[in-house]
Amino acid sequence: MANNSKGARALRKYLAKPEFSTLLILVAMLILAAFLQRNFFDAKPLNRTLNAFTPLILLAMGQAVVIISGGLDLSAGTALSLLTCVMTSVMHKANPETGLYAILAAFAVAIVIGVVNGIGMGYLRIPSVIATFATSYIWLGAALFLRPTPGGESVAWFKVFYDVKVYANAPPALKAFGAAVPSALTLVLVGCIFWFVLSRTRTGRYIYAVGSNNTSAYESGINTARIQLWACVINSVFIFLAALFFVGQNQSGDARMGDPLTLRAIAAAVVGGVALAGGRGSVFFALIGAVILSLVNKIIFFANIPYAYQTLVSGVIVIIAIASSQGYTLYSRKSMARRGKLA
Amino acid sequence: MNGTSIALSGFRRNADKQKKLIIAFLLIVFLFVLGQVAVSNFLSFGQVLLTIKLASFIALFGLCQMIVMVGGGDGLDLSVGYTATLTAVLTASIMNGQNANLGMALLVALAIGLLVGAANGFLAAYVKLPPLIVTLSMSLIVQGGINVYTAGADITGKPSPILQTIAAKSTGVFPNILVVLLVIAPIVMVVLSRTKWGLALLGAGTNETAAFLGGVRVKRVRFASFVISGLLASVIGLLLLGNMGLAFKDMGSNYVMPSIAAAVVGGVSMSGGEGNYFGVILGAIFLQTLTNLLVAIGWGDAGKWLGFGIVLFTLLIVYVSDRRVR
Repeated sequence: MANNSKGARALRKYLAKPEFSTLLILVAMLILAAFLQRNFFDAKPLNRTLNAFTPLILLAMGQAVVIISGGLDLSAGTALSLLTCVMTSVMHKANPETGLYAILAAFAVAIVIGVVNGIGMGYLRIPSVIATFATSYIWLGAALFLRPTPGGESVAWFKVFYDVKVYANAPPALKAFGAAVPSALTLVLVGCIFWFVLSRTRTGRYIYAVGSNNTSAYESGINTARIQLWACVINSVFIFLAALFFVGQNQSGDARMGDPLTLRAIAAAVVGGVALAGGRGSVFFALIGAVILSLVNKIIFFANIPYAYQTLVSGVIVIIAIASSQGYTLYSRKSMARRGKLA
Repeated sequence: MNGTSIALSGFRRNADKQKKLIIAFLLIVFLFVLGQVAVSNFLSFGQVLLTIKLASFIALFGLCQMIVMVGGGDGLDLSVGYTATLTAVLTASIMNGQNANLGMALLVALAIGLLVGAANGFLAAYVKLPPLIVTLSMSLIVQGGINVYTAGADITGKPSPILQTIAAKSTGVFPNILVVLLVIAPIVMVVLSRTKWGLALLGAGTNETAAFLGGVRVKRVRFASFVISGLLASVIGLLLLGNMGLAFKDMGSNYVMPSIAAAVVGGVSMSGGEGNYFGVILGAIFLQTLTNLLVAIGWGDAGKWLGFGIVLFTLLIVYVSDRRVR
């Protein structure tokens, strides 16, 4: 008997986890999407779907790292825009090696972005939301300086970051690899492996510690400011990957393209069960959250809603997603506490 | 502690508050001098007056920010510009250039403000979501509403002459909108420092727990601050319409960032509990002067956002960063 109730309690505990509801929603969404688009799971449409989801997935994973560390990055979208503008300003179509310089320059800028945000919220202890709100305008201004209107040049081989098949001159080995694994998937996998390795390091575990209770983490000897700085820099790496994908796809830079992604990335992380209060959640579930949010958009697209309604609908979805996740967390914590009191 | 030292500490606290006003004022003077050196005719009487007139709308939106910021809880309202735009777009056709329709337009405006403000307040104060995220999503929704409306119908109509007189015209050389500002400012300060609600709001911002234990219903007070911000934003939308003479899709959204920056420059504490509306007005003038300067030397839009971002970030470092604790 006792054993049985123990098992039941364990099950109940698992069901109360936000992760469980996230997985449930994902399955429901996939079934619905497959129902609406009969060839959803065929190779080509699936690849196209993945391509459409990739920037949000990468940004949501980066955002999740910052949220878990107890912060929030409102500048992620404009940072992405700035990186695309940096890349397309450095590159010259005629000169293939400029692509390499572009990658180096954009990576350096990405690190600077992360460090500035990290110093703001970590060392100077400005509330992360307002600090990154301020820096988002710095990135926007810089991006507009480089590229007042969308455009710019990109070297042809940058297309491999989007789809190897599109680039005719790719080496055979890369072509074979690209045929087997889509570039978008590779980029997401790179991000996953990057975080998987990091989360096994001391820094990775400290990110959780700092996020769940900054003061006690500090008092147990963790350099909290440095950990927050690291979280921002890790986020920047994800943004950098997203920028590679975007430039590969569009062959141009755009100072305004990233704006709408910021809020959606935050919503995606929250849908994936990352607690806005910090310290709880998983970067991989933020990935799933991004997939769910993108699937919702896709389903709405199938419902033939007029273009004019898109902003409205996506705003409503974001707020419902965030509010319900927050409400669910508050509710389950309350009911857990009540049960704990009864037992 | 004897009387003198209490008075002295009170004076010091006061001096500390005045310091932010003085800094804002010095920043404005510095910009005007810089502008006069870089561009000729920057400091003429007409130019200064025009700057102040343009700044008055930033200052009005800054009032919304100040009210939600003072209540603490990382309060900020990013939806004000969009609420104003929606109001202007909808009421322009209602008014249709007639003073008789102003009452109806005002009613619609207040309804919009109430709706948006209440939604913001509920999600921020009761569901305890970060206000910045709530109001950012709300601006997406309101902008979506504007998109839907403008896709279905053209934006038509004109503001009523009364509104135009208040918002766009001048009495002699003195812009009427400035009179509005000068009337509002003391009222705001009295409401904040003398009424029960104002003190409750300040208390909630200064120390949430202490205020709650002292009988302040923190959630309700913060909810009310968002509702007031929404109502103000919609009325500002009417004034903006009066100033521009017609409504268009992005008329209010560009004021959001400057209004927050103006509040921070003006010394409104990001952590709540402190705010002087005269400071916000000075902050607005500072930002408008900065915009003028950047436009005059040909840096345009990019320079404006870059400059605003750097100014806001720098002042956050000076005012908000909290390195004393450890």
